[in-house]
Amino acid sequence: MMRRPRGALAISCVMAVVALVYIYPLILVAINSLKTFAQIMENVLALPTQLRWENFANAFTLMRYPNLFLNTLLVTCIGTGGVVLLASLAGFKLSRSRTRISWLVFLLCVAPMMIPFHSFMIALVKVARTLHLTNSIPGLGVVYWGLGVPLSLFMYHGFVKTVPGELDDCAAIDGARPLRTFFQVIFPLLQPVTVSVIVINAMWMWNDFLLPLLILGGSKTSQTLQLAAYNFFGQYKIEWQNAMAGVLLTITPAIIFYLILQRHIIKGMVAGAVKG
Amino acid sequence: MTAGRRRARRRRGFEFLWMTAPAVIVILLFVEIPFLMSITYSFTKWNGLDKVAQFVGLANYRELLTADPGFGGAMTFTLVFTILTVAAINVIALLLAVILDMNLRGKNVLRAAFYIPNIISLIVIGYVWRFIFSRGFDSLGSLTHLGIFQLSWLGDPHLTFFSVVLVSVWQSIGFYMVIYIAGLQTVPREQLEAAVIDGTGPVNRFFRITLPLIMPSVTVAVFYSVSNALKTFDVIFSLTFGGPGTVTTSIALDIYKTAFSDNRFGYGSAKSVVLFLLILVVTVTQLNAFKRREVQA
Repeated sequence: MMRRPRGALAISCVMAVVALVYIYPLILVAINSLKTFAQIMENVLALPTQLRWENFANAFTLMRYPNLFLNTLLVTCIGTGGVVLLASLAGFKLSRSRTRISWLVFLLCVAPMMIPFHSFMIALVKVARTLHLTNSIPGLGVVYWGLGVPLSLFMYHGFVKTVPGELDDCAAIDGARPLRTFFQVIFPLLQPVTVSVIVINAMWMWNDFLLPLLILGGSKTSQTLQLAAYNFFGQYKIEWQNAMAGVLLTITPAIIFYLILQRHIIKGMVAGAVKG
Repeated sequence: MTAGRRRARRRRGFEFLWMTAPAVIVILLFVEIPFLMSITYSFTKWNGLDKVAQFVGLANYRELLTADPGFGGAMTFTLVFTILTVAAINVIALLLAVILDMNLRGKNVLRAAFYIPNIISLIVIGYVWRFIFSRGFDSLGSLTHLGIFQLSWLGDPHLTFFSVVLVSVWQSIGFYMVIYIAGLQTVPREQLEAAVIDGTGPVNRFFRITLPLIMPSVTVAVFYSVSNALKTFDVIFSLTFGGPGTVTTSIALDIYKTAFSDNRFGYGSAKSVVLFLLILVVTVTQLNAFKRREVQA
C-alpha cells in the first residue's frame, strides 16, 4: 500500500474546490434546466424556487427525443458493430500471414490514420451520394466503417501477436473451418482489445457532429441527437430553459455509458491513444 | 503432392482475400478514394452541380497562397490557437495528473470530475459555454462586480479568441490527464524512494526522474493535442461559427464554408490538401523531435 503523502487531506480539499469550479458550468446547466425563462434572465446562479419539469417535457417533444435517440443508437451500433467485425477479421489475418502482400495490405489499411477527416470530406459526400448512403441512418453507420476500421485494425493487429499461433493450427487439425476457428477460438481471446475498440468507436460516433451533418444534412426525418442539438440551439431567439433541458437530455446517455463502463473507457481511451 | 500443396496455397489465398477484403473495400471507398479525389478536385473549378469539373491547374493553390486573406487568417488563427491550447492542455493536464496520482482520499471522484467534459460532444459543449458566457457571466458579474465577467467574451474580437481556447482546453484536459496518469504509473517507485533518501526535493524529483521517464506519454499527448488543435472544428462551429467576423475561423471551418456555403468544391479541396500537408509536416516533426528525448528506465 502506498503511503498517503503529507498534507493529503489539505490537497484533497483544495482539489475538491478546483473540481467543483471546473464542472460549475455543467452544474449551472442542471440548475437552469429546472427554472422558468424569467428566472434565468433574472439570475442564472440562483436555485430554482420550484422545479419546472415541463422544460424536459418540452425539450423531449421539440427535439423528438425518443425518435432521435433511437437513430443515434442505431448509427452507433451499426458503425461500431461493423468496425469490430471487419477490423478483427482483417487485423487477425494480416497479423498471421507473413507475406509481402499482407504487409502492403496492412499499410494500405492503416495509412488513413494520417489523413485528417477534413481533407477528404468534400469528396466523401460525393462518394456517399453516389452509393445512395446519404439521408439514411444505416447509410451513415456504413460510412463510419471506413473511418473507424484503420485505428481498430491497427489495435487488433498488434494484439493478435500475443495470441499463440498454435491455437489456429489446433483448431484447423480438429477440422474447424477458418470462420469457426476465428469466432469460437480467436475472437474471444481478443476481448480486451474488442472492449477498447467498442468504447473508442461508440463514444466517437455517438458524439460526432460533422459527418452526420454532411451525410444527413438536409433530411428532416433522419437526424441524430447532435444534429438536433445544433438545430435546437441554432435558433435566433433561444428559449434557454428548454435548451438547458435539451442539453441534459443529449448528454445523459453518454454520461450513463461512462459511469457504467468507467474503468473500460479510461483503459480503452488510453490504449487507443498510445497505440494509435 | 505438388497438386495438394498448390490447392492448399490457393485455399489460403482465398481465405486471405475474404477476411481482409471487406476492411480494405470500406477503407478504399470511404477514405482513400475520396482523398485521391480531393487531390484531383484541387486542380479544378467545380461548383458541385455541373457534370464536369473544369481543370484549372494550380490556380486554386495560387489563389489561396496569394489572394485569399480569409485562408491566411484561418491559417494564422489555427497556428496560434494550436500553440496556446497545446501548451495549456499539456501543462495543466500533467499538473493535475501528478496531483491525482498521489494517494489521495476521493481521487477517483476527482479524476471523474475532470474527465466528464471530455465525454460530452463538442457541439453541445459550445452551446453550454455560449450560455455561460452570455447569461452566466452576466449574473456572476452582478454578484462579484469583477471586471472579467463584464467583458464581452463572445463579442470582442480579441477576447473571443481566448474564449475558444478556454473552452477547448476545458473540454479536453481530462483526456490528457488520463494519458499522463497512465504514464506516471509506469515510473518505478524504488527510483523515487531512492531519490527521497538521497535528499532530493520534490521539484527536482519531478524534473530529474519522473519527467524523463514519462517522455513517451508526453510524446503521445503532445501529438494528439497538436493534431486535434490543427483540426479544430466542432466547438468553433457551435460557440462562435468563426466570428465575430472571421477572427475565430479555423482552417477546417474555412474548408467547410468554402465548399458547402460558397459551393467552391475545387477550391475547398485545395485548402483541404494544404491542411493535410500542414498536419503531416507538423506532427512528423514533433514526433521526431520528441522521440529523441525518450529515455529507458
